[in-house]
Amino acid sequence: MKFVDEFRDAELGRAVAMEIMSMVAPGRHYKLMEVCGGHTHSIYKYGIDDLLPANVELVHGPGCPVCVIPMGRVDDGIAIAHIDGVIFTCFGDMMRVPGSEGSLLDAKAAGADIRMVYSPLDALRIAKQNPDREVVFFAIGFETTAPSTALTLKRARAEGIPNFSVMCSHVTIVPPLRALLESPDLRLDGFIGPGHVSTVVGARPFQFIPTDYRKPVVIAGFEPLDILQAIEMILRQLVAGRCEVENQYKRVVPYEGNLRALEVMAEVFELRPHFEWRGLGFISHSGLKLSDAYADLDAEVRFSVPGVRVADPKACQCGEVLKGVIKPWECKVFGTACTPERPIGTCMVSSEGACAAYYNYGRFAREREVV
Amino acid sequence: MTVVRVDADRGLALCEHDDGARETVETALVEPVAPGDRLLVHAGTALAQLEPAR
Repeated sequence: MKFVDEFRDAELGRAVAMEIMSMVAPGRHYKLMEVCGGHTHSIYKYGIDDLLPANVELVHGPGCPVCVIPMGRVDDGIAIAHIDGVIFTCFGDMMRVPGSEGSLLDAKAAGADIRMVYSPLDALRIAKQNPDREVVFFAIGFETTAPSTALTLKRARAEGIPNFSVMCSHVTIVPPLRALLESPDLRLDGFIGPGHVSTVVGARPFQFIPTDYRKPVVIAGFEPLDILQAIEMILRQLVAGRCEVENQYKRVVPYEGNLRALEVMAEVFELRPHFEWRGLGFISHSGLKLSDAYADLDAEVRFSVPGVRVADPKACQCGEVLKGVIKPWECKVFGTACTPERPIGTCMVSSEGACAAYYNYGRFAREREVV
Repeated sequence: MTVVRVDADRGLALCEHDDGARETVETALVEPVAPGDRLLVHAGTALAQLEPAR
């Protein structure tokens, strides 16, 4: 398959792994963070960490869209879903994220009209088909998903669909990365940059990492050879004493990003002063809300929401996992009380979550033997 | 995904996954598109065209 098979070539993968092996200094430990949940999934699906020398450690970042949504936000969604006449729509993963008193799936079982959609365009279609109902789309995700929500809002405006609105919980990738780099908990040597977010924002927004923090960044694709090559490129920078933003995913990511997407996002969204991230707390200018021009399509304006902050469950250590401070298997409830079937934390819900990736690909068994 | 049919007036295209499943996709961010083009699609919106030469 074009664009896939050539990036899964086992022989080439072994060659890049050998190259990595030959580059690392034996006495040095290299700690690299893959920012994106899609990378985490690929790393464990293809066993990429097994190809790396023991002193190259991959830690998992905050780039899983579902994982970073706080409990209070889920509660707000459920409150809207329970309003008479509302059809509440969201992505499938989001339905299983626990709020303080259950998930959207639990609310659906209790009678709320909650429907899974694959895109905001699907939600708009439901609104057209149900003109006597209010249809709300729970918008989550980073800059990869935000353009889709923005285009749908523009389409709703252009087609004059009054019964459609959006509960906007989109987030941006740069502020949490800066927060992580400022955190005393974590010492990182470099970053595997997010591939699909960069399709939209380009490479430029990551320049602060080498400039302000002297760390290399390599934007990478999601196939095993993409990730291995990105690791090799980061290590090459470290060995040479360089730090810069490099783009391994040039077949998809232009340096300047997708200018049309950035334009439509600037029209439809504005930054919130603060947004709460699960496990990371409030981060300034890290969340998006609808701009004044689109406030009439903002579900939080149209409906009353509780807006209450709810503390994460004490047993769950998603925050430390999202910051890369602990490995998923080090969480007290990993694989016992918290499983993909009955998740306590968000990192076990989404396939992009680090805990789910570890669990689904059997990593916990090997890691526990080490302990 | 591969573009099967284009509705340029509405900024939409019918696209096909590699497994044969079909989906309507927003193409405003990557236009113009034509049948046979390969697109990177996220949440129902095409974010990039995959260029065979790259």
